[in-house]
Amino acid sequence: MATRARVVQMEQPAATGGNALLILVSLSMTFLLIVALLGAAKSGAALFSESNLLYAALIFYAGAGALYMGFGVTAVPRYVKFASIATTIGWVANTLAVAHRWYLSGRPPFASIYEMLLSFVWTVALLTLVAEKKFDVKIIGSITMPLAVVCVILMQLLPSEVRPLVPALQSTWLHVHVTLAMLAYAACAVSFAIAMMFLIQDGLKTETFLACTTATVSAIYLAIVGTRFDKGGLSVTAWDPTTKSDMFLGRGMRLFVTIPDLGWLFVIAALAAVVPLALYLIGKWKKDDSFFTVANRAVFIGILLQIVVLAAFALRVRGSSYPSPDQDGLFPTSLAASPFLLGGMVTGIFASLLYLMLLWRRADLEGLLPSSDTLDRVTYKTICIAFPLLTGMIATGAYWANRTWGSYWSWDPKETWAAITWLVYAGYLHMRITRGWRGRRAAYFAILGFGIVIFTFLGVTYLLPGLHAYA
Amino acid sequence: MAFSLSSVPKRIHKTFSNLRTGVVLLILVGIASALGTFILQRPATDPDKLTRAYSPATLLWLDRIGLTDVFHTWWFLTLLGLVSLSIVLVSIDRFPNAWRFYARPYRKTDSHFRSALQNKVELPISNVEDGLNAAERALKKSGWPVERIDDRIEPSLYSERHRFSVMAVYIVHASLLLIFAGGIIDGVFGYSGFMALQKGEVSNKIELRTGGTKQIPFSVKCNGAGQENYADGSPKRWWSNLAVVENGRDTQTKEIVVNDPLIRNGLRFYQASFGPTGKLDGLKVAVTPNAGGEAREITLPMNQAVALAPNATVTLAEYIPDFFIRDNQIFKKSDDPVNPAFRLQVKNASGDTKLWMFPAYNGAAQGDNVGYKIEYRDMQMGYFTGLEVSHEPGQWLVWAGCLLMGAGLFVAFYMVHMRAWVTATQDARGNLVLWVGGQANKNRDRFEQKFDELVDNIRTELEGAEVVPLSAKKHKAELTLAGVK
Repeated sequence: MATRARVVQMEQPAATGGNALLILVSLSMTFLLIVALLGAAKSGAALFSESNLLYAALIFYAGAGALYMGFGVTAVPRYVKFASIATTIGWVANTLAVAHRWYLSGRPPFASIYEMLLSFVWTVALLTLVAEKKFDVKIIGSITMPLAVVCVILMQLLPSEVRPLVPALQSTWLHVHVTLAMLAYAACAVSFAIAMMFLIQDGLKTETFLACTTATVSAIYLAIVGTRFDKGGLSVTAWDPTTKSDMFLGRGMRLFVTIPDLGWLFVIAALAAVVPLALYLIGKWKKDDSFFTVANRAVFIGILLQIVVLAAFALRVRGSSYPSPDQDGLFPTSLAASPFLLGGMVTGIFASLLYLMLLWRRADLEGLLPSSDTLDRVTYKTICIAFPLLTGMIATGAYWANRTWGSYWSWDPKETWAAITWLVYAGYLHMRITRGWRGRRAAYFAILGFGIVIFTFLGVTYLLPGLHAYA
Repeated sequence: MAFSLSSVPKRIHKTFSNLRTGVVLLILVGIASALGTFILQRPATDPDKLTRAYSPATLLWLDRIGLTDVFHTWWFLTLLGLVSLSIVLVSIDRFPNAWRFYARPYRKTDSHFRSALQNKVELPISNVEDGLNAAERALKKSGWPVERIDDRIEPSLYSERHRFSVMAVYIVHASLLLIFAGGIIDGVFGYSGFMALQKGEVSNKIELRTGGTKQIPFSVKCNGAGQENYADGSPKRWWSNLAVVENGRDTQTKEIVVNDPLIRNGLRFYQASFGPTGKLDGLKVAVTPNAGGEAREITLPMNQAVALAPNATVTLAEYIPDFFIRDNQIFKKSDDPVNPAFRLQVKNASGDTKLWMFPAYNGAAQGDNVGYKIEYRDMQMGYFTGLEVSHEPGQWLVWAGCLLMGAGLFVAFYMVHMRAWVTATQDARGNLVLWVGGQANKNRDRFEQKFDELVDNIRTELEGAEVVPLSAKKHKAELTLAGVK
């Protein structure tokens, strides 16, 4: 591919220099830390509080993610060294945040979606370090660290106050069940990341990644436009700053306000994601690679647009008031009221950046990764760890449900989706063990499995509420 | 193959014993379950919400196909049945081979096997007996049990660990069937329902989930129920003091809380809900004689006369939780006890007197003929405790299945069946060698390391044996070589 060769040539000299990114990342991390320190000093609150520690973890995880990605592009070994130092520091800060919360509430942080994410990020960071040190999968952080960053950003928007346990959660089984769930989910996340590595190592065409990335970003923006576009504006949930919760019209009916003109910006962003996808499809159909070159440029423009949209969204939503179509008057909005819009947008940006990393990867990146056989085997091994944990999670959940709700299985959405996750991984294991599925098909299965895990973890909680209302 | 009736069972067997069919069935179960979470389900949602969410025509079709109650439709249950059938048939198909493998381990290698095996080494030896002994010592040192296979031509050693792990997959499948069996038993013989009790109430009837009521062989009495709150007002604990009543006697009592049910004759009573009945349990008033004297606090239950004096009684005749007045008449506004009104009836020598008491306004009732001042103190609302009752005779199979599955998965994933063979034979050039081979059924890269270690140990042991005087060794070697030839 002509473009890729050219890009690689352009990148090569930077690789030998190799310090630019390191300096840039450490400078911006220092800057953010100093700003945060000054802010904390000014407010006079305790320095080592949970939120400050989590913020530090966020900065270190983001820095680590940038360095891991930089390693993917430039293959400077020092980047990985510093990235894993940053991950370790971030993980220590994360551990202290967990410990602080545990100490304050007197119980493990398992009781709300915020606390679950806190534990999930902790486990993912730990497993990243383990995978890197033990299995030598150096670049896994370029996928898990962005994931951790998205989760921590989501957490900033979710209600985080320590709430006492409602009666149903006062059980030892809570700890067993949730610990198993977090370990299982984190193992699934790692298997997903390694499966992605496998696809890179296996020489999956860059265009295929182009298609997947643009399809994901298109889906995110089309979903936002489809559900929230309102006569050129964007409708978001109103936020009640006094109770720190969404505003409701009636039982279960959220009050939406419309931010004028913002909708068009989302339409443009959606188009910017659809165009490269369309170009890819045309290129595929006409068997003409030059379309891919244009599509790659369109992805680059798309990222810039996505950043603009995110900034515009953040600026207009923060601390403003807008009219509602359903009720007279102006209602305040807040970023906290739209965690999923924001989560989707950040995910879109990270997915596109990951693609750029792939596009600009060094030709010899393959040599820096473990062999595709090893990656394939490690994916399988992580699933071999995840599957019994998933089984244990479902079994302990059933036992606990039997003690609390009077039935071990009630086809509640969360239960059902946990069972679907289990089925997908069971299918993977059967096809692999008895049909000898190796390589790409197995990797696709692992990626699908993790997609379902994320849906079970976050999607079900917000889209399909049932008995499992706490998280 | 031409179609014939007799081939139908064969075809069915062939289809369902195919693993691909099993995986397709699993995918179908997954899709159906997913639909069941996206489409509102009848048992869990109230009918109003369903009619609001879907148009009548859509709802009619959803109902017809059973998509509004996916998990109880015949086709979903059939699907689960087919999955079970597939598990059974696939297992039966594969079992004999696995059993043969398990029951009659391959102990002695032949030349074909030796050339095809991946992990193998040939170590030169000068003497069969010493070589085998050295290998035996090395295996035992590495913790491998050793079995000696005497063979006149090629004496050898066989060693294996965790052979049972090859059967673990059948244990996992059996455990899944056990869980299904438990679910079926509960689906057929089990039932669940609801029982709402007020303090002091005794009942032996439960309202079934499926509709209707069921009488149980004993009664349950509620001796009290309550709620405790955290400082922020959110509920901390719900409790109910229950007693099992048989033949008029309390035979078992227990304070149940959420997460800790009462169990009796396979029936479980769970603390499910707690709430106000909307009815008044009692009204607490202070009574002061008009003639002067101490105020006395009494509690008035509904419609029960309470003595004020030997010849005077007071009765709480009416309670309105939230009242308003129109045309000099008192009406009920709502059921929330926010602005209550009480009608009291006082009977004494001067006859019947009706009095109204409005705690939100004056809080005292007085009348010329009453002789007492009656002041409001407190009102005690009635509470009911909601008990979830379930009978799940199959649950023990489910738990047994879960434990078995846990054990089975552990063995299947983490216990590796490792085998090692040592045979004294001749290499291609006719030299006497110790052929060492090994195989593992999973985690092969780890096994390779283990195998290399084992081979190193055997080498060390062989070198130790080398100390034996050369002449004696040669002598023995000749002896055995003669035996081989």
